[in-house]
Amino acid sequence: MECVVQGILEAKHVDALEVLLQGLCGGLRETIKVHEICLKTGPNLGAVASEVHLCCSLSQPEPVWSVRHVGGAMRGAGAEQLPALVRPVLEAGISNNSLRFMHALGYKLDYEMLRTGFSFQMHKTVPIAVTITIAVTAIHRLPKTHSVDEAQPVTPNLHMVQLTAPASPDNYSDVVGAISGLAEYLAPLVHLSKPGVPAGVVPTASTAAAALISRGGITKVL
Amino acid sequence: MTVKWLYYWQPNVGGTMSSQTLFDAFKRIEALHGSKTFRWQITASQFRPNQRDSPVPPVDCARELWGVSFSEVPDKYFFALRQDHMVVEADATMQAIMEKLQVYRNRLTILFEGFQYELGDFHIKAGRAVLAHTENLRGIVLEVDYKPLSSVEQSRRVVEDFMKVLNKGVVTGQFIPLDPNFPEYSLPDLYSWQHTSLQYVTLMAHVLSQQRT
Repeated sequence: MECVVQGILEAKHVDALEVLLQGLCGGLRETIKVHEICLKTGPNLGAVASEVHLCCSLSQPEPVWSVRHVGGAMRGAGAEQLPALVRPVLEAGISNNSLRFMHALGYKLDYEMLRTGFSFQMHKTVPIAVTITIAVTAIHRLPKTHSVDEAQPVTPNLHMVQLTAPASPDNYSDVVGAISGLAEYLAPLVHLSKPGVPAGVVPTASTAAAALISRGGITKVL
Repeated sequence: MTVKWLYYWQPNVGGTMSSQTLFDAFKRIEALHGSKTFRWQITASQFRPNQRDSPVPPVDCARELWGVSFSEVPDKYFFALRQDHMVVEADATMQAIMEKLQVYRNRLTILFEGFQYELGDFHIKAGRAVLAHTENLRGIVLEVDYKPLSSVEQSRRVVEDFMKVLNKGVVTGQFIPLDPNFPEYSLPDLYSWQHTSLQYVTLMAHVLSQQRT
C-alpha cells in the first residue's frame, strides 16, 4: 500500500520548488518521462470490471515497462481524518511486449498520457524509516494513439506535485505523519491534500519563490 | 544463461510410465558419474477467461493463458499465449496483480519437480510432472543444458548427442525432445528464462492433449 498527497503548482514556481527540494532532500534529482496507458476490461470479461495502468519509463536509454494496479482508498472514520490518502498499490516490472499482452488478454485502451518532470527522494525516520518520493510533473495529452513525440501539455501553466511513500497496515499512520510533516515544509509554495480534494494554488507562492531563488536554496533541513 | 533443452519420456507402444521410469533415469545419470546437487521445482498453470453475466464467452480475449514460475528465479513470473505466439516476463508481483484483476482463473496446475545432477559440462534436471494437490503422475522430464554454450542453435546438436548416449540400451521407451519453435515467438538465439518457460508451457500443453486422447 502507499500513502499519497498531491497539489498543483504554477509552472513559474517549479524552479523555486526544485531549489527547496534540493535543500531538503540532497542532490538525488531524477528525471521523469513516463508514458502512462490506462487499460480497462472489455464487456463480460473478468469477475468484475477492472483497470490497470501500463507505465513506460522513457527517461533511460531503453524503455522500462511496469504494470501498476491501484486499489480503492482506505475508508472509515479513521481514514477520513488522516491528512493523506492510504490505498493498496501493486507494481510489477514487465517485458516490453506488455501492451500487446494486455490487449490479447482483453484489455482496451481507456486513456493515455505523458508525464514529464523530476523527482526527489527523502528518507526520514519518524520513528520508522520512511522513503518519500516527491514528483513534480506536467501532464501531456497525446493527439494520436501512442504519439508520445507529439505530446501537448494539458495545463501549460500548472504542474502536479505528488508525495508518495510505501506503507503497510502496521505502519501507515507513521508514514502519513512523515508525509504530512514534509507537506508543511512545502506549504509556502504548494497546498498538498488527498487526491480528489482540490486545494488550489498558494496565493503567496510568488513571495516564497522569490525568497528561495534569491537565497539560492535553503540551509534548513528536517 | 546456458541453453536448456527439455525432453519428455515416451513409452513404447503398449508400455506404461511409472515412478520406476524416473528412478531408472536417476540410475542411468549416476552410472555416468553424474552427481546430485539440489532439488528443483517448476510450476506451470493454465488459466481461462473469467466471464461474467453471460453464457457467451468474451470474444476479444485469449482463450488460454499459461503461467510458469521457477524455484531458481522466485522473483520472476512468466506468461505465454500460444495462440498469439508471445512470452512475457514479469516480476513475481504480477501474479498478485492478476489475482486482483480476476480476469483469468486458474484451471489447473502441474508441478515439475526432481533433482539436478552435474555431469561434466552438463546440467541435468530429472523429474516428474504431477497435477498440483494430487500425486497423479503425468510425465517424466529431463532438462539438459551444456554449460559452455548460450546459443540455441550451437547447443542443439551437442545435447542431442548427449541424449543418444543417455537413451542407449533403454528398451521400454525413450526421451523425446520438444520443438517449441522459439523464432515463432520472437525469442532470440541468445537463450533466456523466457525460452525455458515456453518449453514447459509446450510440454504442459502436450501432457494435457495426451490426457484427452
